[in-house]
Amino acid sequence: MDYVMETQNLTKRYQSATVVDHVSLHVPKGKIYGLLGRNGAGKTTIMKMMLQLVCPTEGTIRLFGMGYQEHISDTYRKIGSIIETPGFYTNLTGQENLEILAKLRGQIPKEAVKSALEIVGLDKEKKKPFSDYSLGMKQRLGIAAAIMHEPELLILDEPINGLDPIGISEIRQFLCELSHTKGTTIFISSHVLSEIEQIADMIGVMNEGKLVEEVNMEELHKRKRKYIRFTVSDSVAASTLLKKRCGIMDYETEDSTLKVYNDTFNVGEFNKLLVENGLMVTGINTCEENLEDYFSELIGGGGIA
Amino acid sequence: MLKLIYCELMKLRHAKMIPISILGAVSVPFMMFVEVLQMHAEHPEQEILLSSVYEDSILYMLLLANMMVSVAIASFLFSREYAENTWKTILPIPISRTKILWGKFCTLFLWDFFLTIVSWACILLFAGMCHVTFGMAEYSLVIALKWIPDYFLLTVLMFITTSPFIYIAQKTKGFVAPMIASAVIVLGSAALSNQKWGALYPWTASVLLLDGRVESTGYPVWLSITIILLVSGIGFLLTFLYFRKEDLK
Repeated sequence: MDYVMETQNLTKRYQSATVVDHVSLHVPKGKIYGLLGRNGAGKTTIMKMMLQLVCPTEGTIRLFGMGYQEHISDTYRKIGSIIETPGFYTNLTGQENLEILAKLRGQIPKEAVKSALEIVGLDKEKKKPFSDYSLGMKQRLGIAAAIMHEPELLILDEPINGLDPIGISEIRQFLCELSHTKGTTIFISSHVLSEIEQIADMIGVMNEGKLVEEVNMEELHKRKRKYIRFTVSDSVAASTLLKKRCGIMDYETEDSTLKVYNDTFNVGEFNKLLVENGLMVTGINTCEENLEDYFSELIGGGGIA
Repeated sequence: MLKLIYCELMKLRHAKMIPISILGAVSVPFMMFVEVLQMHAEHPEQEILLSSVYEDSILYMLLLANMMVSVAIASFLFSREYAENTWKTILPIPISRTKILWGKFCTLFLWDFFLTIVSWACILLFAGMCHVTFGMAEYSLVIALKWIPDYFLLTVLMFITTSPFIYIAQKTKGFVAPMIASAVIVLGSAALSNQKWGALYPWTASVLLLDGRVESTGYPVWLSITIILLVSGIGFLLTFLYFRKEDLK
């Protein structure tokens, strides 16, 4: 496969703390790669190393098939990025900030600034200095700065932070469009798992500086288990019946919910059994594990936000 | 390089630091104006020369006011990128960190020079007001222009002796530490301005060098120049080395 970005045993240590521990990532060309992990898992540090903001302690980074320090000018011209909350000059307007970046990058047509501002919906905020921007506006300007030069690779660290639901949906659609129509490779991290689930072609899961899993979404969908969820008055009693009368051991209980992981299971019969045993059934659904369930299983639960 | 300087100047649009620094640059001419008025009030018979106003201003500019203003500007130029989190937006653009620093140093020099010219022009203006009121000997543009090379040299000396404060601003990522350091240094300069050891203290040595008083301290001129170059060289070197290897957390 053709990889736009690869790392091999990438490691970053600060004194005795290992923040990124021998990470080997593979980001295929034209795909959206979602990097997941709890706060402090090392996602931002990986992105900063790729953007030369932080120097790796060990390991290699390859961008567009070359070492990241070879042909720096050509390589980094093809990259757009946002790292955490984007930083801009507070005394300048959004347009003035982008004009500085365009000037520094060079070879960017004048219309690119206006067009980027239009895409993110900031074209009407002509006189407002960056210091008066809301968090969502700052994030939008960051996205405009990242896409202004039509990069082949976008490195986005939590790009939807601070955006309202409509803004999130617009940016999601825009990123999908970029990837699918222009073939832009997108390397994105987010703590909103459902967002990554909707757009990513591939995910990498990080925990305590290590890459725990790297899998494409098709494979992940195959791995995600289907289950039948019963909402009952007593889930423990229901699980006892399930074990004794149906011989099914693959289940989970949580409050008033019983999840049964069995495809060949006769739902009608079991419902009848529950009712006959005086248990009230208020809901039966067929479900599939989502990314959050998968993530929790992989790193041991606890959430990532 | 021109592109980098242009971008640095663009970053200063609407920045409050510009009028503040101009006010700082006007402070010495204004103090000199007050001094001239006082001198005339106390000794109306005494002749006041435009040259002596320019000469005295050098001392106050290099020793006190403009030096502090220059450190404030340097701290602003270098630490704002940390304070406003802009390095992570700028540094992924393929321009070497060394070039970015050069751009900032050149901008600082231009800004320092601009403020020196503001001070020079304000001295001429205030002296003109004195000349119109009670007459000032040798008041002419030709005399004023003769001081331009000295004031340019003043800018160069002020710029190069600012470099250690730039390193402090870079290292501490803020305004406070370099401003405190400059206050301490300025106090030292004031204390040593009439002492022999002043020739060995780079910030006082700059003034003595411009006034042509180094030899009167008993130390050779080359020693003062070497000390000034050494201190500024260390400042520049540390700033470059630190920034080139710095991890932006």
